[in-house]
Amino acid sequence: MAYVHVENAVKYFPREDGSNMLVLDRVSFDTEEFGITCLLGPSGCGKSTLLNAISGLERLDGGRVEVVSNGPASHHPSPRLGYVFQDARLLNWKRVEDNLTFALKGMKIPQAEWPERLNKYLDLVGLAEFRSQYPLYLSGGMRQRVGLARGLVIEPQVLLMDEPFSKLDQLTARRLRQETLQICERLKQTTVLVTHDVEEAAYMGDRIVILRARPARIVDIFENPLEPNQRDVDDLQFIQFKKTLLQTVLKLMEKEGTS
Amino acid sequence: MAPEDKVLPIIAERGSLADGDVVLPAGTKAAAGWEFAQSAALRIGSILSMILVWWGMTYFFPPTLIPHPIETLREVVAIIGTGDFFSEMGATLRRVGVGFAIAILVSIPLGILMGTIKPLEHFFEPPVILGLTMPGLIWAVLAIMFFGLNETSAYAAVSITICPMLAISLWQGTKSIDKDLIDMSTAFHASPWSKVIDVILPQLISHILAAIRYGLGLAWKVVVVVEMFGFSNGVGYQVVRGFNTFSMKAVLAWAITFLIVMIIIEFGFIGWLESRVTRWRPKIQAWRR
Repeated sequence: MAYVHVENAVKYFPREDGSNMLVLDRVSFDTEEFGITCLLGPSGCGKSTLLNAISGLERLDGGRVEVVSNGPASHHPSPRLGYVFQDARLLNWKRVEDNLTFALKGMKIPQAEWPERLNKYLDLVGLAEFRSQYPLYLSGGMRQRVGLARGLVIEPQVLLMDEPFSKLDQLTARRLRQETLQICERLKQTTVLVTHDVEEAAYMGDRIVILRARPARIVDIFENPLEPNQRDVDDLQFIQFKKTLLQTVLKLMEKEGTS
Repeated sequence: MAPEDKVLPIIAERGSLADGDVVLPAGTKAAAGWEFAQSAALRIGSILSMILVWWGMTYFFPPTLIPHPIETLREVVAIIGTGDFFSEMGATLRRVGVGFAIAILVSIPLGILMGTIKPLEHFFEPPVILGLTMPGLIWAVLAIMFFGLNETSAYAAVSITICPMLAISLWQGTKSIDKDLIDMSTAFHASPWSKVIDVILPQLISHILAAIRYGLGLAWKVVVVVEMFGFSNGVGYQVVRGFNTFSMKAVLAWAITFLIVMIIIEFGFIGWLESRVTRWRPKIQAWRR
């Protein structure tokens, strides 16, 4: 399997007046292997830029990002990455299963493997019976499940998730977090999840990387003391860990004078 | 409509689905049939009321100016009966069809390129806007003077007249496509071809359909003008013949056969095409109770 190695990542955005704004300031960290790594920070702190840099959608101005694979050498030149977006970003004119084959086709997965993979991952996210439905006939939560299945169906070395639950209502989000955690655990899926939600980070993350904003810089890295199956949002130990995270983030915001 | 027709049954929840996960089905068969009957009745009612207005006018004008609807209908039947109809209408349809096909083949790529590549947008904007403001009649005159009185001038006049309109519609449509979906397709390594076919074109489909409708409307107008100039067949020629013999009945009868064909194309072909390519979109019912 694989993990992501980020070393001294630097990124500038051009401003209107021609000068440059530093977005990523020498960010270095390694992700968990087999587990979920959360990038936690305030909105607009450059977390998504970092995720885009890992995915290759965005080029870095300094440093490097590497997907380190311990498995048999991949014959693909670029690492295989799955992406789950904030809004599901489905092709609404394609049926659920065709949204998954769109990803399989793009990643050049042999067509012979498609039926088996569709069955497996649609079943995993609980959408087996909706496979020939069009996305606009599904609820927001189910569309996000399709997005998750699309990210997983290509069997990525690393799954990248960009605030995937932030647009859902609270109950649906809670339900989906729990299921996503179970699925990633079962598949031993290396995952990077970007979030601004402290509880989400404490619940989902095996490792939590805390970033400060403008420019993004790493403040602290926490290892989750609880195993995935021990995490319960109402449990005392969990609440304590969440508090620790929250205090770190709050202290950080105080220092910056932002709120 | 009975209120229970509107209630959308919620598919029974499976264990793995959260409370928020509700499925909206496409609507039951019975409700769809009722909706179809209702819309058909409204359309027929609209046409009948137009005929009624016409019939009323016959009481105020002599039959040389406003012929009776029934008389005109007899003329329509006669035209269709002689077999003239199919050769004349066929000639007109061929001119529209060929001109239209050329315009589509040119304007869809042109519009997409203008919407996606800035320099091309700046370069093609002036000719497209100028082309749009030029009246179809002038294009018809220019085409006949250039190509002479033959089929080529009809094809040219039709395609040049509607091309700018189609291109503008595609150009503006392309600008409004969802860039997040392009990013998504890049993240999943979709090929350029797949981006056009799977991601860009489906987002343009309603723009393309609207453009086809307007385009056809323009094409009919231009082709009739071209035919009036001195072609020896086609609906436009027949209308001119009616004019020369001052037969209002013949002019109206040809106009009506023309309308019938247009309605068949509009509701039959384009309507079918639209419902096929927009199956994925739930119907908008903004004013439902």
